Amino acid sequence: MHNVVQSDLKSGGLVGRVETVAVVAVSHHGRLRVPSFASNVFRIAARELRESARSRWFLLYTAAFVALGLGVSYVSAASSGGSGLSGFGRTTAGLINLVILVVPLMALSAGAGSIASDRERGMLAYMLAQPITRLELLLGKFTGLAAVLLTSICLGFGVCAAILAWKGSRTDPVALASLVGLTFLLAMSMLGTGLMISVATRKSSVAMGVAIFSWLTLVFVSDLGLMAGAVALRMRIENLFALSLVNPMQVFKMWALVSSDTSLDVLGPAGLYATDIWGAGVTWIFACVMVLWIILPLTVAASIFSRRSPI
Amino acid sequence: MRYGGIIFAAIGLTCWPQVVFGSVDISQLISAAKAGDTVLVPTGVYRGEIRIDKPLKLIGVGRPTLDGGGNGDIITITAPDVEIRGFRICGTGIDLDKENCAIRVNAARVTIVDNILDDVLFGIDLKESPDSVIRGNHIGGKVLDVARRGDGLRLWRADRTIVEDNEIHNGRDAILWYSTDVIVRNNKSHDGRYGFHLMFSNGVTIEKNDLFDNSVGVYLMYSSKLKLIGNRMLRNRGPSGYGLGLKETDDFLVQGNIFVGNCVGIYIDGSPFATPDSGRITENTISANDTGVEFLPAVKGNHLWSNSFVDNFEQIAILGRGELTGNEFDRDERGNFWSDYPGYDRDGDGVGEANYESRLLFENLTAREPSLRLFMFSPIHQAVEFIARAVPAVRPEPKFTDYYPLIEPPIEHGAELGSSTSLVMVALSAGLLSIATAVLGIVFFSPIRDAMRERRFIAVI
Repeated sequence: MHNVVQSDLKSGGLVGRVETVAVVAVSHHGRLRVPSFASNVFRIAARELRESARSRWFLLYTAAFVALGLGVSYVSAASSGGSGLSGFGRTTAGLINLVILVVPLMALSAGAGSIASDRERGMLAYMLAQPITRLELLLGKFTGLAAVLLTSICLGFGVCAAILAWKGSRTDPVALASLVGLTFLLAMSMLGTGLMISVATRKSSVAMGVAIFSWLTLVFVSDLGLMAGAVALRMRIENLFALSLVNPMQVFKMWALVSSDTSLDVLGPAGLYATDIWGAGVTWIFACVMVLWIILPLTVAASIFSRRSPI
Repeated sequence: MRYGGIIFAAIGLTCWPQVVFGSVDISQLISAAKAGDTVLVPTGVYRGEIRIDKPLKLIGVGRPTLDGGGNGDIITITAPDVEIRGFRICGTGIDLDKENCAIRVNAARVTIVDNILDDVLFGIDLKESPDSVIRGNHIGGKVLDVARRGDGLRLWRADRTIVEDNEIHNGRDAILWYSTDVIVRNNKSHDGRYGFHLMFSNGVTIEKNDLFDNSVGVYLMYSSKLKLIGNRMLRNRGPSGYGLGLKETDDFLVQGNIFVGNCVGIYIDGSPFATPDSGRITENTISANDTGVEFLPAVKGNHLWSNSFVDNFEQIAILGRGELTGNEFDRDERGNFWSDYPGYDRDGDGVGEANYESRLLFENLTAREPSLRLFMFSPIHQAVEFIARAVPAVRPEPKFTDYYPLIEPPIEHGAELGSSTSLVMVALSAGLLSIATAVLGIVFFSPIRDAMRERRFIAVI
């Protein structure tokens, strides 16, 4: 039935017998069956998912995310004494902060680690020797890692929601649900960026370094620069708002505020400006920026990946 | 009270309950009645303006409707001791110049009880009517742009009036002009501009009202000897969204109120104004507002003690730069409860040993450069505070100091706002956890793995 190829692979210190099936299979009628794009992507994704779910980084980050989410929700529910005074407040603000800190780090390092380390171990050349295209491989990796991230996000927020329900906090479940969705979008955008870093670097250590540097830039350095710029250059608020839209973390934050029924006027003059000029349409701007942040890095990654040698 | 000649509208009654529109002419009933009579109006729909020029009780039986048809005023009262009870009154004009009004009163001692006012520009307008009673009415304004709305309730020189158990919404203000010793109690006001607005009104007591989703809950201006006790100001938002605004007001006691989710809990502008040291704010719970209490610069003479400041994004703010040195944050060695107080209580007297000082660098920066508020809720916000703690050189001077910060909230408020285990939240939690479990389950135990093994597709052993 199946055309089984066995081979020994010796590369990068890893010695193993790799059983594989060529994705080209012969059907019952003896005709050549070429697997579809989708099924190839799915197979790579399933493999990536399984690999990652066993790996240490996944366990570590998930544990950290769950623990911090538990802490944030417990402390915020306890501080309002279950008195129903919280509403949007400490809980959501704390969760937004937590997500901005932890989730991009998870996603960037997962993305950056994946292809670069495969290349280092020689796995990449091996996998590309199979009848799959590079785009299929890349999308498979993306899908698998996105599923992994979805798992840890759901675990973290699931525990959070359990704590909030138990403590009788008045945090709106719909707002929390939309926060989960937005977190996943942010994770995908950072995962794409991570993959872009990964295909552009040769060593996984370099990829990881660049990923952490990017994280630092997006989370702290760019905001600090923008703050300094706003003060030093007496930046107009419309420019300040437009510039802040470049950063997916800021977009995530503002979108999360809007989706939890908090008016952007919390964010001072720039927020008031956004509410006045764009009204409810500001959500569409956020959506466009997020989608761009998911598509653009992936496109760049695909174009780099298609031109580079797998070794 | 005389009940000498009760005129019962017999014509209307015979047809009841199918009273035909216009079967009774209320104006004729009124002109037929003598001073002190009670006029009963049967159920039905009545059009046309009604003028009451003698002391009468006009009582609706089965809640008759007085429909203005979208033009002019509906009831005008020019005689004292009139009572209006049990009507549904709707459809005034929308002319702001003429101040089209549902019940216009130009006389003393009127009683307006248990009416439903709908789609009205001005609801009840008392002018020169002391000792009146406005009780149990429902006043719904016209849903217009705020600039085109009228006041749901207006008192002009209506001393000693009692306003209680009313619900007022979608209006502009419920406003008191030059009315002393008024009692405002147990009312609800929402979706308007100012819930209650006092202008030059002294000795007013405002207690146990619910003021939510307005632009400002209660705005006290140019008044004195005011008591504001046990009210709830929730979610009053907008460019100037205050739970309570105090403008050049003297001798006020703000006690036992709840301020939650407003842009600014309490906004203090030039108060106290003429009487020094006459601002007293105590036993309030101020929670989850963007700013707890906001002072304009140079405000002094306020005493704040035994309040709970819980999780406001900014607990105390000074608009612009200035100091709060003229205000006291304690009385009798009792300060306030601050949810962000890091100290502890060594000797067990309920008062923390270290002072509560508000010296947050980020707040200091946003006070100088408000556009930087854009970076609230970002990690950079926490990073800036961390830097300020680590490098004392950049730490700002304290805005104010509470020398006797309380360890526990002095009064537990908010239980009545409800805290319930939401089933939706439980479901959300279960849903999220089961997604996670499902993905992990698929990875480790499911047919996919078997399928992968069976097909032996790239499996590293």
